[in-house]
Amino acid sequence: MASAQTRYASDIGMPRERMLFETVKGFYDSLGITRHDIGTFIFASNDFQDGRTISNVFADSPVGAYMKDETKVEADGSFAYLYGVMRILSGHYDTALIIAYGLGGSQFRPYLVMDYTMDPSFTRQVGIMNELVAAALQARAYMMKYGLTEEELAAVAAKGLRNAAANPVQLRGQANATASDVLKSRPLYSPLHEFHCYPPTDGCCVMLLASAKRARELTRKPIWVAGIGHDLDTYYLGEKDLAVSKSAQRAAAAAYKMAGLSDPAAEIGVAEISAPFAQQELILQEALGLFPEGSGSQVMGGGLSEIAGKLPVNPSGGALGAHAFCASGLQRIADAANQLRGEAGACQVKESKLAVAHGQDGFCAQQNMVTVLSS
Amino acid sequence: MEETRLVQATWDLSQCKFKISGDGMKVLLEGLREGVFRGIKCPQCGTVYVPGPTFCRKCFIDIDEVVQVSDEGEVETYTVELADVRGNPVEEPTISCMIKLDGADTWLIGVVEGIDWQKVHVGMRVKCVWKDASERTGSLSDYTRFVPIGD
Repeated sequence: MASAQTRYASDIGMPRERMLFETVKGFYDSLGITRHDIGTFIFASNDFQDGRTISNVFADSPVGAYMKDETKVEADGSFAYLYGVMRILSGHYDTALIIAYGLGGSQFRPYLVMDYTMDPSFTRQVGIMNELVAAALQARAYMMKYGLTEEELAAVAAKGLRNAAANPVQLRGQANATASDVLKSRPLYSPLHEFHCYPPTDGCCVMLLASAKRARELTRKPIWVAGIGHDLDTYYLGEKDLAVSKSAQRAAAAAYKMAGLSDPAAEIGVAEISAPFAQQELILQEALGLFPEGSGSQVMGGGLSEIAGKLPVNPSGGALGAHAFCASGLQRIADAANQLRGEAGACQVKESKLAVAHGQDGFCAQQNMVTVLSS
Repeated sequence: MEETRLVQATWDLSQCKFKISGDGMKVLLEGLREGVFRGIKCPQCGTVYVPGPTFCRKCFIDIDEVVQVSDEGEVETYTVELADVRGNPVEEPTISCMIKLDGADTWLIGVVEGIDWQKVHVGMRVKCVWKDASERTGSLSDYTRFVPIGD
């Protein structure tokens, strides 16, 4: 696989068609291919953010899909990746281009999109729930269950800001950020402050998937999909323990089984996890078996998930650096692949043969996709 | 049988802000203010797009060659509004056409007036009726009306 990303922004400053055309054209040119080399095009986008239904019908030409095989998922880009992998495995396609984009920075009020995913029969009628409230309830649940302090939660966000500062495509980063900087940022819903939460972002991420034969023709450094799994928890927040993610556990178990991993925490060298809110990085890294359950304090205290730590998590800066709705999960997979290729620049971790990447959708990560990549 | 209840709800989409291609629309709108149709031609495949995009969807390259096309053309297909979109009968039906302007490769949507709707036909020659120069604002409402000019 290969990938390209925009430089994420709070306002990309151009029509989405132009953003897609420039990113995809640049990507084709860098690989020395044309649009006619693509077997199937798969979009991940959100009709609410695009302000039109079936929004991909306008976005096909800007990515070169004119008169081509094209389809879409109305979900995070990691699910379009899953769809792309299945299409390649079907044997009908040698190549699949995944195009994931979001305009949550400039086109639509941040967090409003998530309001529309709420259940109209109860949650919407009660009227107090929104994406930030859900995330804050989840953060408090983890802190209470496992004794995580406010400083330790802020340390997760500070790590994200520091790593994002070293990643030129990220929107928000701060070199030398500390927990105290995070706690000084604007308070939102307690215990969350602005820097614990993703920045509203415009941008896109594109990725080319190819069959083994075609991949070897296209690159000398192919990255392989070693395992993949996905799982869905219940929608209602009151029916699950918010401090853990059972669906991410199940998705990871399926991915590790497919990849033949018996001790993922020891075998995997780097992880890119979709965590648009700081506490989710802890909950999900535990669900993925990278650290023991409830180990947030220990991991942050010991710097175990830092770029130079025992098992780096989100060396890219993750979704706290940029979170273009739908592009975000694909960005995690692309960043994990770049790590294995040794092309992660200032975010590069020590050499590794195996990476895990994760994408999610829904309040408090209702739906999860986990993939193992190998070099 | 289970009781079914209705709840009132709204979807507020009013905060959506669209960005459109300024370059592509500018070519069309500036032409409209001057009383002419302009589009963009692809130097590779020769397609003349009206309105013009800033890239060719077939060749996948940037395009910016502005070309003027005629304000006369041919009706390629049409429909007569015998009922409105809610199904109510209409007394003075609108005739909505796709018109291929001479010199363009794409069809432009427009209203044809000045003819009994039963006499409209595909292949009919039409010409744009422009607003007076003083009334033209460089907006899409400058052009929408066409009249027949005889075959």
